[in-house]
Amino acid sequence: MHRSSVFGMIPLLLLLAAGSASAHAFLDHAEPRVGNKVATAPREVTLWFTQKLEPAFSGMTVTDPSGQRVDTGKTRVSGNQMSVSLRAGGNGTYHVTWHVLSVDTHTTDGNFTFQVGQ
Amino acid sequence: MDWFGSGISVALVAVRAIHFAASALTTGTLIFRAVVVKPALRSEPTTAKLLRTQTLGIEWTGLAITVASGVIWLLLEAASMSGLPIGEAMTSSVVSTVSSQTQFGQVSEIRLVLAIILAACLAYHRLPLADWLALPAALGLTAAIAWTGHAGSTPGETGALHLCADALHLIGAAAWIGGLVPLIFLLAAVRRYHAIAWAALARDAAMRFSALGVASVTTLLATGIVNAWILVGSFRALAVTEYGRLLMLKLVVFAVMLVLAAVNRFWLTPRLVVASGDERRLEALRQLTRNSVIEVALGFSIFAIVGLLGTLHPAIHMVEG
Repeated sequence: MHRSSVFGMIPLLLLLAAGSASAHAFLDHAEPRVGNKVATAPREVTLWFTQKLEPAFSGMTVTDPSGQRVDTGKTRVSGNQMSVSLRAGGNGTYHVTWHVLSVDTHTTDGNFTFQVGQ
Repeated sequence: MDWFGSGISVALVAVRAIHFAASALTTGTLIFRAVVVKPALRSEPTTAKLLRTQTLGIEWTGLAITVASGVIWLLLEAASMSGLPIGEAMTSSVVSTVSSQTQFGQVSEIRLVLAIILAACLAYHRLPLADWLALPAALGLTAAIAWTGHAGSTPGETGALHLCADALHLIGAAAWIGGLVPLIFLLAAVRRYHAIAWAALARDAAMRFSALGVASVTTLLATGIVNAWILVGSFRALAVTEYGRLLMLKLVVFAVMLVLAAVNRFWLTPRLVVASGDERRLEALRQLTRNSVIEVALGFSIFAIVGLLGTLHPAIHMVEG
């Protein structure tokens, strides 16, 4: 292989990076489950990710059907798991918004809803 | 597309590639000194002294680039993790939070301590203790990179296996690609001095280096398979994801390097024997040097690929089932 073609590859690779690199730890599953219906308002929301998380840069907020925050604001992170306790809320659609930094230094964010009530 | 965000990611890929290459250069040169130069020159103190100055120069250069690129990497990560512009991320408390509270930051701090120990060892290399301590410090400096990447975030028992494999993979890559640089310098010195004794030295060094190369390649293959099993998981993922395709490109470059290494070992090194005559010996030496330079260039392009791979989603998370 000609040497200049080897060096020529490097800018190409850097260009590739611009289009793609963004996020890493994906939401594996959650409790209450994403989009599911539960009978009574849960005491806490727990999220499991595909990779281990950094507590300093990870967190989530939960709002009740009226748009009021019902999470206590203290997110607990342990390994690839993140949870937050909830205050009591009414029936309807709850919104969970999360952002995490995985241990391999990549940030991801996302949101989902779950339903409370019959 | 978020152009500012991608600016940071391009810079991150570049700084990671430079950092990996410089760490490999530093550690590989120390490995080269321990397994190639020292045994080959046990009975020749004058030549040993001359080559010591040369390898020390490479070690200092590698270490300086490692530390400088490591600091820039930390600052870029602080900006990326916090989502702040790089100027703000540097002045605020973000850098200290990243350094003290994230795994990346803590590993960076440990690596900085190892870099300082290594610098002290190089500065006082005439003391036997310092001379002995330099290699383990350098091995730690390179192996610890494993904790900053994908391997560091794999949960559970698989995580421990992934870390071991990745740390060994890094050492293997450093020994081969990093070790080629002092070999090239040694071969250049041989061409300059153009004496019979030096030709014997070149052959001895090349033989010892290929033994080291075989050990490195075996380690790289075994640990590479473990890493790929964890991060890619299937041949389909290798074929359909960006991560998988880039990994295949890396394997192609690796294969070309292997061919060059085989030519060096089985074709050129045997022709360095004194009996083969001045002209043929010099020609073999010239080709050996040229092939090694191409191998280093290919090795550095692998570091560029690795710089990029670390910023991508591992293939295993991108395909269903």
